[in-house]
Amino acid sequence: MTRPTPLERGSLRSRVAAAVTVAVALVWTLVPLAWMALSSVKPSEQVTAATPDLLFRPTLGNYRALFTGANDLAPYIWHSMLAAGAAAVLAVVLGAPAGYGLARTRTRGKRHLSFWIISTRMAPIAAVVLPLFLIYRRLGLLDSVPGLVLAYLTFSLPFAIWLMSAFFAQVPPALEESALVAGCSRWQAFRYVVLPLTKPGLVTTFVLCLVFSWNDYAFALVFSGPDSQTLPIAASQLVTQTGIDWGQLTAIGTIVVVPMMLVGIAVRRWLVTGLTLGAVTGE
Amino acid sequence: MTAPAAPAGAAAGPTRTAPRPRRPGRLPGFEGRMMTPGLLLLAALSIVPFLAIIVMSLARVRLLGGVGLHWVGADNWTRFFTDPDLGWAWIRTAVYFTLTVGLEMLAGVGLALAVWRLARGRNAALTLLLLPMFVAPVIVGLLGRFLTDSTFGLYTWMLRQIGYHGDIMGSKTSAFTAVVLMDVWEWTPLITLITLAGLTSIPASLREAAAIDGAGGWSMLAHIILPSISNVLLVALLIRSMDAIRYFDVIWVTTGGGPADATKTVPVRLYETAFRFFDLGYAAAIGLAMLAASIVVARAFIRVLDREGLTR
Amino acid sequence: MAVHRPSPADPPPHPTAPAHGTRTPATPLPRRTVLRAAAAASGPLLLGACGTRKDAPRRNTGDPWRQFAGTTLNFISENTAPTAAIAADLRPFTRLTGIRVNIVTLELSALVQKVALDLASGQAQYQVIYADPYQVLAPYSKGLVDLRELAADPTLPPLPGGFGDFIPTQLDAAGRFAASDKVFALPYDCPTMIWQYRRDLFDKYRDRMAADLGFDPTPGEDSTWEQYYAIAKWFTDNADDVPYGTGHQAKQHDSLMNDFSNALWAHGGSYFDDDTAVGRLGTIDPGPCRLDADAAIAAAEFYRRLLSVADPASRTWDWDGVGAAFRAGRLAMCPNWHEFAAGNEAAMPGKVGYAPLPKGPARRAGMYGGTGIAISANTLPNERRAAWLFLLWATSPDTQLRGLASKVGGGTPTRRSVYERGDVKAAARRPSPMPNLLTTDAVERTWRSENIGLRPKIPMWNECDTAIYTEVSRMLAGDASPAEAMRSARKRFDRIIARGWAA
Repeated sequence: MTRPTPLERGSLRSRVAAAVTVAVALVWTLVPLAWMALSSVKPSEQVTAATPDLLFRPTLGNYRALFTGANDLAPYIWHSMLAAGAAAVLAVVLGAPAGYGLARTRTRGKRHLSFWIISTRMAPIAAVVLPLFLIYRRLGLLDSVPGLVLAYLTFSLPFAIWLMSAFFAQVPPALEESALVAGCSRWQAFRYVVLPLTKPGLVTTFVLCLVFSWNDYAFALVFSGPDSQTLPIAASQLVTQTGIDWGQLTAIGTIVVVPMMLVGIAVRRWLVTGLTLGAVTGE
Repeated sequence: MTAPAAPAGAAAGPTRTAPRPRRPGRLPGFEGRMMTPGLLLLAALSIVPFLAIIVMSLARVRLLGGVGLHWVGADNWTRFFTDPDLGWAWIRTAVYFTLTVGLEMLAGVGLALAVWRLARGRNAALTLLLLPMFVAPVIVGLLGRFLTDSTFGLYTWMLRQIGYHGDIMGSKTSAFTAVVLMDVWEWTPLITLITLAGLTSIPASLREAAAIDGAGGWSMLAHIILPSISNVLLVALLIRSMDAIRYFDVIWVTTGGGPADATKTVPVRLYETAFRFFDLGYAAAIGLAMLAASIVVARAFIRVLDREGLTR
Repeated sequence: MAVHRPSPADPPPHPTAPAHGTRTPATPLPRRTVLRAAAAASGPLLLGACGTRKDAPRRNTGDPWRQFAGTTLNFISENTAPTAAIAADLRPFTRLTGIRVNIVTLELSALVQKVALDLASGQAQYQVIYADPYQVLAPYSKGLVDLRELAADPTLPPLPGGFGDFIPTQLDAAGRFAASDKVFALPYDCPTMIWQYRRDLFDKYRDRMAADLGFDPTPGEDSTWEQYYAIAKWFTDNADDVPYGTGHQAKQHDSLMNDFSNALWAHGGSYFDDDTAVGRLGTIDPGPCRLDADAAIAAAEFYRRLLSVADPASRTWDWDGVGAAFRAGRLAMCPNWHEFAAGNEAAMPGKVGYAPLPKGPARRAGMYGGTGIAISANTLPNERRAAWLFLLWATSPDTQLRGLASKVGGGTPTRRSVYERGDVKAAARRPSPMPNLLTTDAVERTWRSENIGLRPKIPMWNECDTAIYTEVSRMLAGDASPAEAMRSARKRFDRIIARGWAA
């Protein structure tokens, strides 16, 4: 991020106004998350107390309950990591070359091709589930992590192609031309010249695909089974006939959120520069 | 700022983006080969289901003993165009879409501007502000239910302290407001992030020149800053719109469409028709109409994007 | 988008026709090439469920319980009390049979979605199915095994006590569909709506209330809904111990249909001409809807009046919400499922009383919400037998007894023989090691055939359910008068039923 010079940052008053705005936004953003984390370490009778309780003896009981007994959460976490991770990697691996091709191609139907790619992401989930389910059954993909990966690709891949093509479009063609003059093949020019330049874009794409896959509920509900359930499914399982165990639910919520938070924090710098390079700067 | 953002960049025509072909005969082949694996997979994942939905929308779908189709011609479509509930659902969807995306754009851009002006702690603030978009929608819904519960909800309690004694999910307006705000809570950060990326890339020279010309706060914002990030804003709008039309998890988990249908949007209705009523033929018709609506909206945005891109 | 053309002369849906036979030739329909191509491309994928699967091996052993040792079964269930108890300890079953069981628990609407897709797949990823009578059994009974065949199989262990040991109304309501012969599911749980009230507060104010209201407020055989209303109002107006007299599960949700139906039947209203038969055995064609009858409209008027004195948050609550509010001390009483007793007793030991719901002008009605467990008809012969072993075990008297004592709060028995046991009878009184049994008296009285409330068991119930709870929700929100809401519900019911059902 380039920092604005003091001159542009505006008057003291506008800076104070900015600080206040950010503070308010932070409260709005963080209160629900903090309350969730706090509730997850409360004794269960205090979780649903009529008056919010800030004084309590912290307990890990809710977390312990999630990892012992009939529905141990550990495999859910593992499936989620495998499926979302693989889907994000594949989306980038397939989406980057396709995005490059799309950015550079001179086909007449390019406009339509590009629009078709985005439109695949708009498909209403509830309508496409039945046909996909039947295809999956034919191919034996139900209740398997590869099946989930494929399902996640239905929304991650178009997103990746589309975003990456925008990043590649920003790389001046002159760079490749000089590489070609220097004797590189097209592939080498792509691999050694263009790709390194779009690294922030790759990271951004990877993270956003990871987030969308990790958070998916609708597809996971249909395509997962005893051997491939994911975390959002585990969360919905706590909605039972005789009530919701809010203590365990907030614990699961925390578990679902924390890894993505860490990923988000780890690549935040890349996220900002990535989008900067890709979507904005022209030259 | 020449190249417009994503789809326009891809669609803006060959002259600006493609490298000068050295051996014209072979070059398209390379791009084609690069695209083939991804596009083939995408086609496999999308074309067959799409054709299947079209077929299903003309049939009655039976499930037992393997799926069977009974052609009913245009019955589902006749019903679609005469369904009185659906009309209201479309209106609600339009309002929901406009409110969520509108508020997210306003709040996201405003917040990005504020963060951008921060003297200190920009990175820390941004890190924290981004967190909601990493929360799974189904958890946002459940968390929203937890926070607005009439008995033990934190927000219920807070509102009571300031004199509001109603039940958030109990009246039509407040329930609708609540599901809108939950969506806004989750997705404003995405807009903030993208806008901020745009802001940081405005050439310093441009801002300095404006400042020296004596352009003050609002005028600088209106005449320099916003115009120069308008492309980015449209990208953000498009990304968000694609999902805003089809997502329904939060509503499904919190209100289930109630009270008195006040939050029953078309995606909720679609889910209900498909997986509560198992009226899969009719669901396919609704789904196709939703897809068409999304395409119309996306087309409109992209047209604006293209125009912006070409006038520059 | 839509291509309008007259419907081809299709034969009417034949419920038992195999999928392969139903593929209508594309010729009369899509004239446009695009559509023909679409049908051709998706047809093979949509239709047919061929492929070979391997059945579970059967071993030669003298012990009928162990003949399928080594098999793995998948059981898909709503996350209910008995399933929680069984999931918490599956070892006894594995020790007994050598069969491994994976339990997948889901929230009910998610369960129904997965079960329907699994039945449609032509295979049985889930051999054992939690078959909600209205959402699974009625629409998909043809996808379930007739359990009488397995019960009669001499190579398998006998069903303890036979089918007759299950409470008869429950066996009919949760296990059968449309005909009194076939049995598709064994009654597995039996939540029933009863009157739950703060005994401590009723004791405290009994005399004052009796003086003010002119009747003994203690819930009993003669209590009426009008009295319930008067008590609720009295508590709201006069007692500081609780903010509101009554609370209801009146969210736009299945729970609202349950809560409203109790009042509907008590006032002499009904969904169809013969709700007793439509509720108990079920049918594909229930006849015309009767929700616009005067008695039904009177019931709706009463329900709206009752809700106007109830906790206003009622409109946001399903059964879970009203249960939590009751436990938190917001309400003096509420109608709710009896299985919430365990939670009540943990939160307010000894302070809660249980009674059957009040009577109306016509009768007393308490909604029964029990469910059976069933076997998918897509199972192969030995798999099916192994699944039957699990059914036998999961509904056996021993397992039901163990569930009652389970720390994770098991369900309540569905067998007569269990209720007749001395220790179970003793547990119906305080102090009870099995707190759900404190409701035994209220529940048993509700189960009598003149008191039990059985919602219509028809294949298209989900859509009708949505219609009625949406209309009642509109009435409560002030969008429709009781008469308007009931008339509109009737129109919707008739439309839905006229559309028919083809599983």
